[in-house]
Amino acid sequence: MLTCREMSELGSAIIEGDLRLSTRWAVFMHLRMCSRCTIYIKQLKLTSEVLQKLPLTDENVDTQAILKKLNNREQ
Amino acid sequence: MDDEQELIRRLRKGDSTALEAVIKLHHAFLVAMAMPLVGPDSADDVAQETWLKAFAAINKFEGRAKLRTWLARIAINEAHAMRRKRGREIALDGWGIDSGSPISSRFSEQGALDAPPSQWHHDTPEELLTEAELHECIRKHLHKLPGDQQSVVMMRELGGLDYDEIAQALGLVEGNIRVLLHRGRQRMHAMLNHFEEVGTC
Repeated sequence: MLTCREMSELGSAIIEGDLRLSTRWAVFMHLRMCSRCTIYIKQLKLTSEVLQKLPLTDENVDTQAILKKLNNREQ
Repeated sequence: MDDEQELIRRLRKGDSTALEAVIKLHHAFLVAMAMPLVGPDSADDVAQETWLKAFAAINKFEGRAKLRTWLARIAINEAHAMRRKRGREIALDGWGIDSGSPISSRFSEQGALDAPPSQWHHDTPEELLTEAELHECIRKHLHKLPGDQQSVVMMRELGGLDYDEIAQALGLVEGNIRVLLHRGRQRMHAMLNHFEEVGTC
């Protein structure tokens, strides 16, 4: 049986589906009976998805200065 | 991704507003990703070089990866080129050492979670990202991660790079990269959890 602690350590492997068959079975069995880990793993997955979709837009970046430098370099 | 296709179409035509738009979208990401590889003084130069290479090669971009991933690959190459040219490596001392689980105190001696995690008000990344304050909070906490975790989270989650590319870029083995990513995710989860519980950063 996997403990919750072990489940939390496997979290990223679980959300990426990156587990051996025997471990996958143990994870499945644990999740069936443990709502706490089910929530934690679900939230960890959501965290990962938020980071993947996070825009790092910076409206204050001086685009004109960058484009000017690029133009000078090209000439 | 339709917006991205449209942006790329305009970039290929040399549309100057598209050039400005794409720089606004990704410059901060490129600088943040280059920072640990070349240091704070040269990170902006790496981003500049990246734009030069990217705009020259935009016709070769096939659109199989996200634009951010394609730019990240160029930036890593530029960072390595700069390091070679300067003949010095930025020491990544102590990188890759596991800092341990940030939630280790939440388990009983038997290893069971001692309390149920809080329920979140948001179920999808889109819903979470509608909160402007949360954007700021995530950015702030990304920068507070230990350098190695921050780099791996940037390259993998935001940049969409593969584990072997990241391992090569940082001179670590893939196993290290997976552990660092997991620890970074756990810390960012704790941050999101706090936000969901309290409503502020």
